[in-house]
Amino acid sequence: MSAETVQTVIDNLGALLLFTMILIVAAGQIYRAIYAVAAQSFLIAVAGGVLATATGNVDLWVIAGITLTVKAIVLPWVLHWVVRRMNVRREIEPVIPDAATLALAVVVVVLSFHLSASLGPVRQAITGNALPVGISLTLSGVLVMATRKTALTQMVGLFASENGIFFTAMAVTQGMPLIIEIGVILDVILAALVMAIMVLRVRSTVDADIADLEELRG
Amino acid sequence: MAETLLWVLPLVPTVTALLMLTTRDRRILSGLDVAGSAVLLALTLVLARDLVAGGPQALGVFRVDDLGLVFLILVAVLTFAVSIYQVGWLRQAVALGNMKPESLRPYFALVHGFVATMVVTVLADNLGVLWIAMEGTTITSAVLVGYHGHHHGLEAAWKYIIVTTIGISFGLFGTVLVYAAAAAGHGSAGAGSRSWSAIMKVAPALDPGIVRIGFIFVVVGYGAKAGLAPMHLWLPDAHSQAPTPVSALLSGALIKCALLGIIRFQTIAAAAVGPAFPMQVLLVFGLISIVVATPFILTQHDLKRLLGYHSVEHVGIVALGLGFGGSVGTYGALLHVVNHGVTKALAFFAAGTAIARYGSRDMQVIRGLLAVAPIGATLLMLAALSLAGVPPFSIFVSELMVLRAGIGDGHWVAVAVFLAMVVIIFAGLLHHVGGMAFGKPTAAATREAEARSPLLGMTLLAAIIILLGLTIPGSFDRIFRGATEIIVG
Repeated sequence: MSAETVQTVIDNLGALLLFTMILIVAAGQIYRAIYAVAAQSFLIAVAGGVLATATGNVDLWVIAGITLTVKAIVLPWVLHWVVRRMNVRREIEPVIPDAATLALAVVVVVLSFHLSASLGPVRQAITGNALPVGISLTLSGVLVMATRKTALTQMVGLFASENGIFFTAMAVTQGMPLIIEIGVILDVILAALVMAIMVLRVRSTVDADIADLEELRG
Repeated sequence: MAETLLWVLPLVPTVTALLMLTTRDRRILSGLDVAGSAVLLALTLVLARDLVAGGPQALGVFRVDDLGLVFLILVAVLTFAVSIYQVGWLRQAVALGNMKPESLRPYFALVHGFVATMVVTVLADNLGVLWIAMEGTTITSAVLVGYHGHHHGLEAAWKYIIVTTIGISFGLFGTVLVYAAAAAGHGSAGAGSRSWSAIMKVAPALDPGIVRIGFIFVVVGYGAKAGLAPMHLWLPDAHSQAPTPVSALLSGALIKCALLGIIRFQTIAAAAVGPAFPMQVLLVFGLISIVVATPFILTQHDLKRLLGYHSVEHVGIVALGLGFGGSVGTYGALLHVVNHGVTKALAFFAAGTAIARYGSRDMQVIRGLLAVAPIGATLLMLAALSLAGVPPFSIFVSELMVLRAGIGDGHWVAVAVFLAMVVIIFAGLLHHVGGMAFGKPTAAATREAEARSPLLGMTLLAAIIILLGLTIPGSFDRIFRGATEIIVG
């Protein structure tokens, strides 16, 4: 593949990633948010595959494979399992209206592109628009976490946020060393498991959403 | 020899944790706990001696220089003190029913797992390993924060894991950006440059724009973990809900490890964009932290939350010292890291025994401590006086240095705000602690004798506070000077 083709493919994937992010921000039901984040992780894995073919970097294949298994299949499955265990199909409860969150997300995306447009030389080290897309995903993930009051949505926001980092890391010329990426993924799995256990424990002891508890103040 | 130690050090707490999984007996567990921590401390001192003699040591992804050594010694000393303290503390907690005997085994193992991740954080040369270990500390300690199993604890643990995980994913983004800058500046030659020491060599040639953004991401990210305001929201909850020995480790050691992460990136940023930019960023975050903490300290009723907000204040002071910069400010900031770590651990220890005695964290309930537990009350007073910055205790010295650096550089507004807040906090803290120590004991107080092992652990820390307040031993001074040189250049 020529450099331009790769760049176009990555840019197109970036656009799709931003689209999945909008789906997450606008999701009215927890299931939709989970499917959207799974799709997003799948796209990241595809991007990894494309970059691996283009650069001949074998490590990227491994990273793409791990991303596919862990972030596109296992973690969404864990989330799904927790939702079923909790046995409540609670709607996502936004702190501010969805429309406002979406507007903020748009602002985040515009600012990210504006910010990275100001970086001249470094953009050569990163394929296409991976940097602004990555920053957008990361910040919108935080936005989702800040504006939702259910534990599982906050976890979805966290995963989306990390997807942004992975996307940028893959597109950086030298990438992240394989061993580091594996370590990072391992941490993500462990954190997700600990969170899932906490959510279920609170659900079983006080029958409330852990993110909804607000007794510690001042 | 010294190089191998770099690998052995993180293994010591790991092996201790694994050994702990083989037994349920509280005495054996406590014995293993103290032994493991003692070995860690001894090996740390051996490494310190080698380092002073032979300069920085590196092996694979690990490296130790004077800067890392300051934090390593702090972690090792606090771990040792915590181990001694919790022999008696756990006996009491089990007797009171705050801890179930069968949950002691995972508790001990997790504490040592937590220590192992902190040791890796301090020793990591590779910035990716630094990040992985930092996230590791979050996972292990989040479980410990919610250990009592009460829903308050779980609420605190949730807030902690969410805020710090999202925080340090910003840190990861910053790390990726710095990698990108290194890769761009050096092409394929920069392939090996994922370690701090390698990036430092090429740092002056890095693109300033991307390093600037990367540094802000890192300060926000690791700053969340360090408890810098406004990312500190998890800190008072986690510190107040965790079991006391864990609170001491969180406040004394963990948030300092996050500061080390920030300092590592500060040096890279200083080389790439000039020292003024990172200093300005740290100055702003430091001032915000000090100002935000003050009203919460004044109006607080919960003893452990009070100490939590004090951590926000003192992390702010460290950031302020780094922000004022120069050799005096940086030396003062590093000294403050150690002083605050030791003092805060002592404060949590003393608070923990008082809370166990009264069965409440409410400072209105804890009254007349001096009459029922004279030694514990004295130690609590001592810790509070030191926290408030009274001479001859150690924090006075480091705060004075930070102040001196600020005046020297003409940061008048920052100095004025800093002084005003310190004075207000001084009054507030003495009011709180005076009320707890003096007066007539409330009916809630038990009058049983004070347990020996907690007192021993506290006395050890109190001795360090007084010693560092009176004089800084020559070998310590050399290490601090070396560390300051690494930052200031």
